[in-house]
Amino acid sequence: MIALARRAAYRTAMFLVALALVVVIWETYKALGPVDGGKLLGVRILPRTSEYAMPHVWDMFSRFGRPEVRGSDRTVFASVLSGAWFSFRLSVAGFVLGGVIGVGLAVVMARFKLVQRGVLPYLVVSQTVPLIALAPLVVSWGGKLEVGPLVWPRWLSASVLGAFLAFFPIAVGTLRGLAAAPAASVELMQSYAASWSKTLVKLKFPTAIPYMVPAFRLGASASVIGVVVAEISTGLKGGIGRLIIEYAREATGDPAKVYTAIFGAAALGLTMAGVVVAVDVFVMRNRPKESIT
Amino acid sequence: MSAVNIRNVSKAFNEGKPNQVDALRDVNLEVQQGEFVSLIGPSGCGKSTLLRLIANLLEPSSGEVSVNGKSAVQARLDQDYGMAFQQAGLFDWRTVRKNIELPLELKGWEKPDRRARADEMLQLVQLPEFGDHYPWQLSGGMQQRIAIARALAAHPPLLLMDEPFGALDEMTREYMQGELLRICAATGTTVVFVTHSIPEAVYLSNRVVVMSPRPGRITKVVDVALGADRTEDTRNRTPFFEAITAVREGLRGMHAAHVGMGNDDR
Repeated sequence: MIALARRAAYRTAMFLVALALVVVIWETYKALGPVDGGKLLGVRILPRTSEYAMPHVWDMFSRFGRPEVRGSDRTVFASVLSGAWFSFRLSVAGFVLGGVIGVGLAVVMARFKLVQRGVLPYLVVSQTVPLIALAPLVVSWGGKLEVGPLVWPRWLSASVLGAFLAFFPIAVGTLRGLAAAPAASVELMQSYAASWSKTLVKLKFPTAIPYMVPAFRLGASASVIGVVVAEISTGLKGGIGRLIIEYAREATGDPAKVYTAIFGAAALGLTMAGVVVAVDVFVMRNRPKESIT
Repeated sequence: MSAVNIRNVSKAFNEGKPNQVDALRDVNLEVQQGEFVSLIGPSGCGKSTLLRLIANLLEPSSGEVSVNGKSAVQARLDQDYGMAFQQAGLFDWRTVRKNIELPLELKGWEKPDRRARADEMLQLVQLPEFGDHYPWQLSGGMQQRIAIARALAAHPPLLLMDEPFGALDEMTREYMQGELLRICAATGTTVVFVTHSIPEAVYLSNRVVVMSPRPGRITKVVDVALGADRTEDTRNRTPFFEAITAVREGLRGMHAAHVGMGNDDR
């Protein structure tokens, strides 16, 4: 436990150092870089350093504390927080849905080689479809779905699109993990005349976890991206995606404001990935250290 | 009733294809209850294949394998044997006790019964205080003892071992051989044991089966007249060396034959 705590502390420290480094680079360039950007043969290759293009880091953060619109008593922080919370719930729904679908697909593909050969190429193709093209389709399909009193809520479309991005890394990682059990262990289970499902639960899933965790981490952030993009492209109100669009429109007059929403989205993605890491540390607490990812 | 009966068994991999490999041809072997039989031979002689046929992890191309008077399939379904491999193959995510309980879990035993049996097995392999440890916290020799405890947890009448001590250092290896004999004497288990080591085969076995490759077949069976009580002192006695010489000659004879064959081809 002490070693674990020490590693957690070390990682947190390195994370903070990395953050500080980004701030230092941003501010150094802002102080030293050309105000109108650097041009080479008429092409602008260095960004402008003006207040509009690159607000100070402290301006971005102080913007959190000031009112969202002039005269309002609601701060930007409150808006970003509630937007992030809204999107977080949609992302979790998308992540869970994507996880169930991804793991389910992986299990079926691991069980039936034929399914794997037939389905896997389509999964790869599915990820090349632009999310923005898909978003209106999902909304219109969802709008037509009505099972008795159950009506497709608008937010569900965003979660479905989150799931659409999340399921792929989860399916591929889990599939790889399910094939990772050593041959001798598989023979051992065979020698016990263990059924396929018993082998899956007692051997294959435990050996798959080191492969599944990075996949779920990717899936968690993919779900956030899916939800944010879906919010923007379907015009769903209340989430962080909507805030980014709204604040970006005000960028000429209030350049720091849009960064608050971007920070909110980043914090959202980190929170999702952090939850997965916490689960990983818990699940793998009794494994030899080298197998912890 | 013999513990294992192998009649006219042949096994070919990739049968009927250009890359067909005759792993075993016309093998006959009978192992009596309570007997300790070693299979020895160079790589590719089919000794591991033979063990897997007994375990029904492979099906013979022709011939019959019976275990405890049943077909090999039925014996596997009834878990009439336990198996141990070169790698202990313990599950990292289970405690030592839960590893030993694995075959009992799969048989549907109740938790208190499993626990009692696991403790009994831990006593048998003399590691009673390590039940709550995780496998990776144990040395290689200890892990292998746990693997043996797991193989014997359901009290199977037959133990199949595929070079179980191959990855251990010489000192640990000799100690483990003594332990295995003690455990088998205590439980009356029949053992079929695959090894590369001549002294190991002789020290452990009632009979040593010498096999040769391409195609895999039995070339010689050496009876080891060392009696039931074998101690470290056994390794210094004349019958031990005589048996080693007999096995070595069996292996060498086949080697000479191979060299001769090679020359004829040219």
